[in-house]
Amino acid sequence: MNLQIDPHMIVFFIASIGALVSALLVVEHKSIVYASFFLALLGTSNAALFVLLGYPIVSIFHLAVYVGAAVTFILFSVVLLKEAPLVEPIARGVAVIAALEVLLLFSVGFRPLLESEPVQGIISLEEVSEVLVDKYSFALIIAALALATTMIEAITLARREVSS
Amino acid sequence: MTPPIYWFLLTSVIMFCIGLYGLLTRRSLIRMLLSAEVIFNAALLALLSTASLSQDFRPAGGALTLLAISLAAAEVGVIVSVAILMFRLRESLDIYELKGLRG
Repeated sequence: MNLQIDPHMIVFFIASIGALVSALLVVEHKSIVYASFFLALLGTSNAALFVLLGYPIVSIFHLAVYVGAAVTFILFSVVLLKEAPLVEPIARGVAVIAALEVLLLFSVGFRPLLESEPVQGIISLEEVSEVLVDKYSFALIIAALALATTMIEAITLARREVSS
Repeated sequence: MTPPIYWFLLTSVIMFCIGLYGLLTRRSLIRMLLSAEVIFNAALLALLSTASLSQDFRPAGGALTLLAISLAAAEVGVIVSVAILMFRLRESLDIYELKGLRG
């Protein structure tokens, strides 16, 4: 018997199960340090899914900027904080119902796409940068301004003197 | 062969639900930020999956995702600095204490 195993499918299952387990651990793990670590794992699994969809550039950017900078920043910052477990026991039931409702609505809503295959091929850096510069240049400027503003805001907040 | 788009979208919806559950049940600012980041990752996956449906949308989907990731990095910086400030002032990360920080 000749069994043919598709490597794309294997990567998809490993990455998606890894992403979902990491997401669950981000929410449920007792330690916020470990929760942040699992967020980094979630970002890495998501990056693998982006490659499968044909976006290696976005995947590298996600790994470098999101996992490498943002999540690492959270990971090092939460070490400074001490957290008592704060859970809303009444909200648990509501949250489960809301999550199940969203799951049901979207899984039924996306059903027409059950047979749709993603477009094959890899998106290049030239294509993405061309669209960014030609079509979304204003959004790019706004994003740059927002980044600069939030950087100043973060520094100002962190440096604020605490009055006793 | 790449799996159908529906599987990617289903993964993103389940991830979104996990994030939503975390966001609704936690009262700690950092926990809520982490849950919001799970939702953000789900949204990115959904955006790229739907952009992959057509060759015309693919570069635009990639460009929008790059913008979203860079803005998310900025947002993380602000919320973590608010959390650190709050912890220095209140010794707690409970969001019910946040209203005490009104300027």
